[in-house]
Amino acid sequence: MTGTGTGVSQPILNVAGLRAGYGPIEVLHGMDFTVGLGEIVVILGANGAGKTTTMRCVSGMIEREGTVEFQGRDIASAKPDAIVRAGISQVPQGRGTFSDLSVNDNLLAGAYTLKDSYDDDLDYWYRTFPRLAERRDQKAGSLSGGEQQMLAIARAMMSKPKLLLCDEPSLGLAPIVTQELFRILGRLRDELGMSLLIVEQNAGLSLALADRAYVLETGSIVATGTGAELLVDDTIKEAYLGVVT
Amino acid sequence: MMLAASDLSLFVERFINGLADGSIYALLALALVVIFRSTGQLNFAQGEIGTMGAFFVSTLTLTGLPVLLSILLALVLGFAVGAGIERVVVRPIELRNPSAVIVALIGVFLAMNQLTALIWGIDARSLPSLFPNEADDFVTILGAPVRIARLGTIGVLIVVLILLYLLFTKTKIGLAMRAVANNQESSNLVGIRTGFILLLGWGLSGSIAVLAAAMLAPSAGLTGSLMLGPFLLASVAAVLGGLDSPVGAVVGGLIVGLVQAFLVGYHPSIGSIELTPDLLYPVMLVILLGVLLFRPTGLFGSEKVERV
Repeated sequence: MTGTGTGVSQPILNVAGLRAGYGPIEVLHGMDFTVGLGEIVVILGANGAGKTTTMRCVSGMIEREGTVEFQGRDIASAKPDAIVRAGISQVPQGRGTFSDLSVNDNLLAGAYTLKDSYDDDLDYWYRTFPRLAERRDQKAGSLSGGEQQMLAIARAMMSKPKLLLCDEPSLGLAPIVTQELFRILGRLRDELGMSLLIVEQNAGLSLALADRAYVLETGSIVATGTGAELLVDDTIKEAYLGVVT
Repeated sequence: MMLAASDLSLFVERFINGLADGSIYALLALALVVIFRSTGQLNFAQGEIGTMGAFFVSTLTLTGLPVLLSILLALVLGFAVGAGIERVVVRPIELRNPSAVIVALIGVFLAMNQLTALIWGIDARSLPSLFPNEADDFVTILGAPVRIARLGTIGVLIVVLILLYLLFTKTKIGLAMRAVANNQESSNLVGIRTGFILLLGWGLSGSIAVLAAAMLAPSAGLTGSLMLGPFLLASVAAVLGGLDSPVGAVVGGLIVGLVQAFLVGYHPSIGSIELTPDLLYPVMLVILLGVLLFRPTGLFGSEKVERV
């Protein structure tokens, strides 16, 4: 584990004063957070706190106001395809695999923005997820939830991103599958040097993995610290781990 | 049961004519399905795009251009009209109220029908065929005289199917079109410009509709109502095959063509029911109702089954 906490010398993603919403309803009321290079940052929040909205702001899926800088470049008004090309890829909530397309076509779609050859990457992800290699010609919709989550991660990685966004990756997965999933996310950081921004409700596993974490409540950041610090914080324990203190 | 030679030749003639008409319905149904899969809309203006394209072909050939070149230019027009409808009508309205799009498309249908009459008048024209189509241009298959233009129409369907297959399975754009049809949100997230892909899909459908009309007009006669009947039959074909299935559209189109061919002119009557051309639409309505009641997804349509 690298849980350094303060070492945000090189933020790959810098978000400040982020506001967004749907129609007249504002969901995010001025959020500030950063993701350092090679860091896993978790934003913890309950249903309706604004986790998915935060993700959609970074990936350019909705209108947003404020500062969103990626590698020092302003992307606050960039469109989703430009953001993918810049090096940010998102694993959407509920997997979002192309259910009617084969596993292989899902991965090829992930490489849509690449101009050069991606055969090496395809091989790499099939070696990393042998289950996907076995099912490469099957429709993605026929995979189990855990397999679909692996596919969604591999698809997102096919665009060769520098920052990976994961929207509630543990949602709907069995605990043992969730553990496996978080191990894989940890390997992306440790072996490939990826930076990850993960929004989650599952505090236990995600905080154990996180270098740093933020707590999001009704559209505002209310607490921040290292994963280890928040894991032993009494308020967090009570609100997100179901531990009565 | 043995068929006498004349029975066999009549059967072959009706069968090939059915496939030829069916090819036209299959093309139109394909155009409908391409749009339905990606946008979930039934493009009521589909037939009128074809009619307008066929009139455009007629104008071009009158200036002395070869038929093939005229048709190719009309395909470009069809592409532009289809794409234009998506950009100007469908997309802005869909943002506000998706269910209003269908009403708008009926409006586009009426407007295009009138516009065609305004530009080209209401007199029937004859459109030269892409294939030899003189009185004696036929071949004899199993004793049945079959017009070469009819075989050509079937050939055009086969060529279009091969091209579409290659587009959808071998190209990046085709992969993007399938991805957008399946999940627009995820398509955006992998960096596909979904708006552009939808535009391409509508344009492609417009071209296919023009091709269908250009195949039909030489035998049916070119009038403003050229595609009204074929559009209805193609809709039945698309529902029969399954609205989200390109294979279904083709099979459905051919079935409708064959039903039409054998309903009229093969046997004079079934029992006491005299078989006349008037029966075509009632029979199609019964088929449509049957499909909707007993197999709403059509022959090849998919029920959305997904493991969570």
